[in-house]
Amino acid sequence: MSFKRFWTAEEVPRWFGLSVVLIYLISLGAVGYLGVHDARLRAAQQYRAQTAYAVELLASRLAAASREASDALAVPGEAEAATGSGDARRTPGITEPGARYQRALREFAAQIGTLELRVLDGRRRVLAATDTLEIGSTLPNEATGPWPPTALQVTETALPGHPESLGLYRIPVVRATRTPAVTTAVKSGGKAEERPAAAPTAPLEAGADAEASGVYLEAIVPLEPTHGLSLADYSGGLALGLVACGALFAVYRALRGQLRGVVRIAGRLQQRSLGIEEDLRALCITDAKDAATRAWNQLVELTASLQTEVERTRANGELSRVLERTAGQGMNEALNALPDGIIYLNNEGAIQYLNTPAGRLLGCDTDKVKGITLVELETAGEPEGGSARAGLLRQRLVAMIRQNLPAEGVADAVNQLLEVSELNSSYRVSIVPLTDARHEGECVVLVRDVSQQLRADRAREEFVAQVTHELRTPLTNIRAYAETLSSGMFDDPKVVTECYNVITKETRRLSRLIEDILSVSQMEVGTIELVEDKVDLKALLTDGVRDVRGLADEKNIDLQLVLPAKLEAVQGDRDKLAVVVNNLLGNALKYTPAGGSVVVGCQLNHNELVLTFKDTGIGIAPADQERVFEKFQRGNDPAVLAEAGTGIGLYTAREIVRRHGGDISLMSKPGEGSTFIVRLPHERSRASSLSSVAGA
Amino acid sequence: MAVILIAEDELHIVRVLSLWLHRHGHRIVEARNGVEALQRLDEEPVELVISDVNMPGMDGLALVKAIREDRGLKVPVLMLSARCDQMQLSKQIRSYGIQLFPKPFVPSQIVEEIDRLLQAAAAS
Repeated sequence: MSFKRFWTAEEVPRWFGLSVVLIYLISLGAVGYLGVHDARLRAAQQYRAQTAYAVELLASRLAAASREASDALAVPGEAEAATGSGDARRTPGITEPGARYQRALREFAAQIGTLELRVLDGRRRVLAATDTLEIGSTLPNEATGPWPPTALQVTETALPGHPESLGLYRIPVVRATRTPAVTTAVKSGGKAEERPAAAPTAPLEAGADAEASGVYLEAIVPLEPTHGLSLADYSGGLALGLVACGALFAVYRALRGQLRGVVRIAGRLQQRSLGIEEDLRALCITDAKDAATRAWNQLVELTASLQTEVERTRANGELSRVLERTAGQGMNEALNALPDGIIYLNNEGAIQYLNTPAGRLLGCDTDKVKGITLVELETAGEPEGGSARAGLLRQRLVAMIRQNLPAEGVADAVNQLLEVSELNSSYRVSIVPLTDARHEGECVVLVRDVSQQLRADRAREEFVAQVTHELRTPLTNIRAYAETLSSGMFDDPKVVTECYNVITKETRRLSRLIEDILSVSQMEVGTIELVEDKVDLKALLTDGVRDVRGLADEKNIDLQLVLPAKLEAVQGDRDKLAVVVNNLLGNALKYTPAGGSVVVGCQLNHNELVLTFKDTGIGIAPADQERVFEKFQRGNDPAVLAEAGTGIGLYTAREIVRRHGGDISLMSKPGEGSTFIVRLPHERSRASSLSSVAGA
Repeated sequence: MAVILIAEDELHIVRVLSLWLHRHGHRIVEARNGVEALQRLDEEPVELVISDVNMPGMDGLALVKAIREDRGLKVPVLMLSARCDQMQLSKQIRSYGIQLFPKPFVPSQIVEEIDRLLQAAAAS
């Protein structure tokens, strides 16, 4: 088993725990043994002390009996009464004290639990004994201790049939007249009278020497209690051991349980890192019991649900939901505020998101079409409550998007121009494939309304074409007539004069055209400036009419100038006002067919000067009446388009009049003619003229 | 020595071309637009047509289409134009075997070109 397996395999903690329990039990056994040994020693000590006490107590009773015996010798009646029991008397050879001793022995033998108990004199003659056969006999001193004892003497002894260790207790009851230490001295003529005061003096029988005068008690008692130690003596230790063992085991179980959970989690993680498990939920531990495993399971569940959520979001590609969650409503509103339509399609061509402008373009509710495929949308027919216009636009748009959906693996955006001529509108459609691997096959479609921009571009292109044409026409004349003159082939004075006239006139036409173009560019950048002076309107109008008289005659148009008798000079820019007159006259003549008439009028009306240019021309449709004043714009009438024109004449005229504080209006009916009305404020001109006069 | 139809709305150009072509002995028939030009063609035989492109009513392109396709006439045509899209115009009229002459032009070149066209027509 490798070290790694030691920590990861599940059985190792069990082995570990068992070894801990084993060590504990050994320790417990050692402690228990020592405890029992100690208890045994203490019980033995106590037992010996009890035994010694009992022996001493018996000795004192025996001493008392000895005194009673000596008193009875002095008073015979009393002695007779004291030896009431007949035991000693019935026993032959027993002296009077012996009977008293025998009675005391009988009373105490049972209490002490002795094996043998006897009372001896100094010569070891048995005075009384539990074994009555011994009475009267003299016993040898078999014990190791000296005889006679002077105090309580305990020596070890043995009895046949008793394997246990036995103690031989000897104690003096009545001391001899001499102490044992001086026994030999007594034997060698010591004084018998000299007795220690503590011990009573034994009654001396006739013929008895000092050695025999003592009375001694001898008892053989087991050294240790015969019943041994009971279970109760061990119960405390055992109970404590059991409790401790149980507690340890519980701790071990708990720890092992926790550790097992951690080990199992580690195992699962290892599986995952090896790539064995793909489904996260398979990492759950089925029989979760401990907190760690349960927490792990919860974590796995949470992660798995998050993973599922993420995968579902990925799979559906629900950008809008993600947007709503991550950026909130703000992002949606920002997208809706864009002028461009945004459509987000998944790889099946189903709409995942579209902003409000896109909804407007497709004529559908942004919420209802989510998830609908382009094919479904195309075949859905007219939009609900929508116009035929919206239906047409939807059809064209969807068809274009479907045709240009990115092929697999194509990362380039497609840009197409969708022109819906029926609606007079154009759209720039960009289809941008998402290159991210997670959004394979999905794309974002941007739709921008470029109608206005395209119209402006076309007007500009048309303007350039018209200007080119307009510039080339006088240039052609100038060049052709110049060559006519220089060729020397035409010397007729009339022809020569004609050539000069044409060249002069066409040069003026050219310069006016260039002026117009310059004015437009100046007006565009706002740098146009009026060079103010007194302008004689009568002269201005007369000159203007004279300039176009030739053209009117050519076209057989009746050109009239109607002026009031008196016309004041006004303040203004003469050249620019001349441009206004020329442009309006030129316009009237250009669009008035042969045989028609153009009438130029002027009158003072309240505080303003009103110039009118009335023609019997083709007229202007109401839809075009405002547009004709716009830069580079001309009427849509084919009759207008057939005429050369740059679309700057009326624009320039109005801008100049507005700079003078006035305006140009238009009254027209198609086929009946038009009247352009120029209003110039008279007050302003008067005030200006006064100030200029005052200044001069 | 030839009858030449000039279809042009710009009178100064008609006038200067007339001067030059008269001097070279041609007779001029004038028309202000395509419709008038077709009328003149119907009225009398014309040996060469000079036409502008931009004209009110029927323009030069419609005119040559009518001459070649409707009338089936092989009369040589010389087209003039001040328009800026001359490449495109050239392509449109090349199928009719017509050359475009850009404005501004020099009258002497026009006269030379007309002589060349008339000789080629005579040769065929």
